[in-house]
Amino acid sequence: MPATFTSFYFLCFYACILLIYYLIPAKTQWFFLLSASIGYYMLTGNGILILYPIAASAIAYGAIRIMAGTQDGKRRKRALCVSLVLLIGTLVVLKYINFGVHTVNGIASLCGAQGAVWKGFQFLVPLGISFYTFSILGYIVDVYNQIAAPQMNFLKLSLYGMYFPSVLSGPILRYREDGEQFFRPHPFDYRQVTFGLQRMVWGFFKILVISERMNLVVNTVYDNYTQYPGSYIWIATVCYAFQLYTNFSGSMDIVLGMSQTFGIHLPENFETPFFSRNISEYWRRWHITLGVWMKEYVFYPLLRTDAFQKLGKKLRGRFGKKKGKQLTTFLAMFLLWFAVGVWHGGDWKFVIGSGLLHWFYIVSGELADPFFKKMMERLSIDPKSRWLDAFRILRTFFLANIGFVFFRASSAPDAFRMLKAGVSVWNPEVLFNGSLFTLGLDVIEAVIAIVSLLILLTVSLLQQKGAVRERIEKKKLPIRFMIWYALLFYTILLGYYGPGYSAAEFIYQGF
Amino acid sequence: MTREEVFATLNGVFQDVFDDESITVGEGTTADDIEDWDSLEHINLIAAVEQEFGIKFSMGQVVTMKNVGEMADIIMSQIKD
Repeated sequence: MPATFTSFYFLCFYACILLIYYLIPAKTQWFFLLSASIGYYMLTGNGILILYPIAASAIAYGAIRIMAGTQDGKRRKRALCVSLVLLIGTLVVLKYINFGVHTVNGIASLCGAQGAVWKGFQFLVPLGISFYTFSILGYIVDVYNQIAAPQMNFLKLSLYGMYFPSVLSGPILRYREDGEQFFRPHPFDYRQVTFGLQRMVWGFFKILVISERMNLVVNTVYDNYTQYPGSYIWIATVCYAFQLYTNFSGSMDIVLGMSQTFGIHLPENFETPFFSRNISEYWRRWHITLGVWMKEYVFYPLLRTDAFQKLGKKLRGRFGKKKGKQLTTFLAMFLLWFAVGVWHGGDWKFVIGSGLLHWFYIVSGELADPFFKKMMERLSIDPKSRWLDAFRILRTFFLANIGFVFFRASSAPDAFRMLKAGVSVWNPEVLFNGSLFTLGLDVIEAVIAIVSLLILLTVSLLQQKGAVRERIEKKKLPIRFMIWYALLFYTILLGYYGPGYSAAEFIYQGF
Repeated sequence: MTREEVFATLNGVFQDVFDDESITVGEGTTADDIEDWDSLEHINLIAAVEQEFGIKFSMGQVVTMKNVGEMADIIMSQIKD
């Protein structure tokens, strides 16, 4: 069975699970979800790899039991450290060891070495390892910090680690907020189930109708960028921004909607990020659970280490209170953004495109802020003006797109070459002479894509004023039915299924 | 130190950290009420409060305190100890 939620077999699997979930005694629902999660994991990939999430849950269980059973600080710390080393070690070995090998080989080749200095490793990487590892790591740290209740039932802990809707693509969970609801009985609630299904349809619309269409244009240009320089690259990059957003946020709509049908509420991962006015805000609205995780378990602890406290004191003494504080924060942010980049994948294109580039944006923004404030004062520009906000939104979108070039290109050097090709060739005429219709979408397909993007934009704008599903719920029955059935049939009829139907793989699933 | 005195001192710390003398904090003040109180400034604020009161927040307290009232509760409990 394909792992993707849009595959026909998965939908049959989900329909059976949902039906049985509400037929069995409510007290046993959590155990059934665990069985379904194990079944899903085993059916969707190499079954033996399920040992990894089981081992991760077992490590967490051992550490949590030790921490819950003692007040001895040293013993608790030892349990924390051993479990963190084992979990992070597994992640590093499976996902990042080749990053180190390739980096060393790259440096060696720059120094004139012939061929690879070190050989890479071939590992079978379990699906969703970055997501479930982070959910489990956060929980262990929270138990250590005594802000989450220790879960003493191994099977329940395993469900938290392996819950099938979120195990492959998130959101990254926090046990102290999301964990206990998995084990509560969830009697059938018509509103919750219909709300969940509606959200799933919205997710399918985003993925099948928009993301898959954008994918065609993106592949054409990114796989042959030497033939498609200048405007083509920018058009394809904007398409990629929408492809990635609709794919990832659409998969989150399906995950959150599916969970809602089980009576489980997971944290939101997106909040219309392309409406952000600066990069910091963008990261508070894009992949929210990763940002919160990084803040709580990397950034704050890092700034509170003795080393950083001493460094902060030194820098404040040398550069003054404000600048010293700023420099310390920038340094910690550099490590934070490096970690964010690495989380996305062991490749410099991720480290730059999803990490250090954004660090650079935020730091330059902070440093340039006083200058811009003064400039606006002199030019009598109202900082709260709508036009300025529109400009800020466009600027942030553009900056994010530069990052997407790295994210989508096959390597960091390729991304640099593409950016160069994007600015060195001036061919705006391709926007108007019909050339764009040769990139994979003909006129009709392009019209469907544009209309669908307009629907997305309209709904996103409505979301700024409150929950759209609740507003639709207040409408009369025929209108309600018309809206949801129109969306359903629009998705079924116009969804791009690609050859073989299960082409809609989630981009973030690889992480 | 009374609770009022704790809040009076906190006012000074907040004004200093956020560079805004008009800030007055109360029991229910949250990050939403102060424009510059984002995740970056939160940790600087924590450090400044710790220094001012000679206390140490645990990592759990740093990430879970919901408003200034909770911050004052922790400060009061640590001062009493």
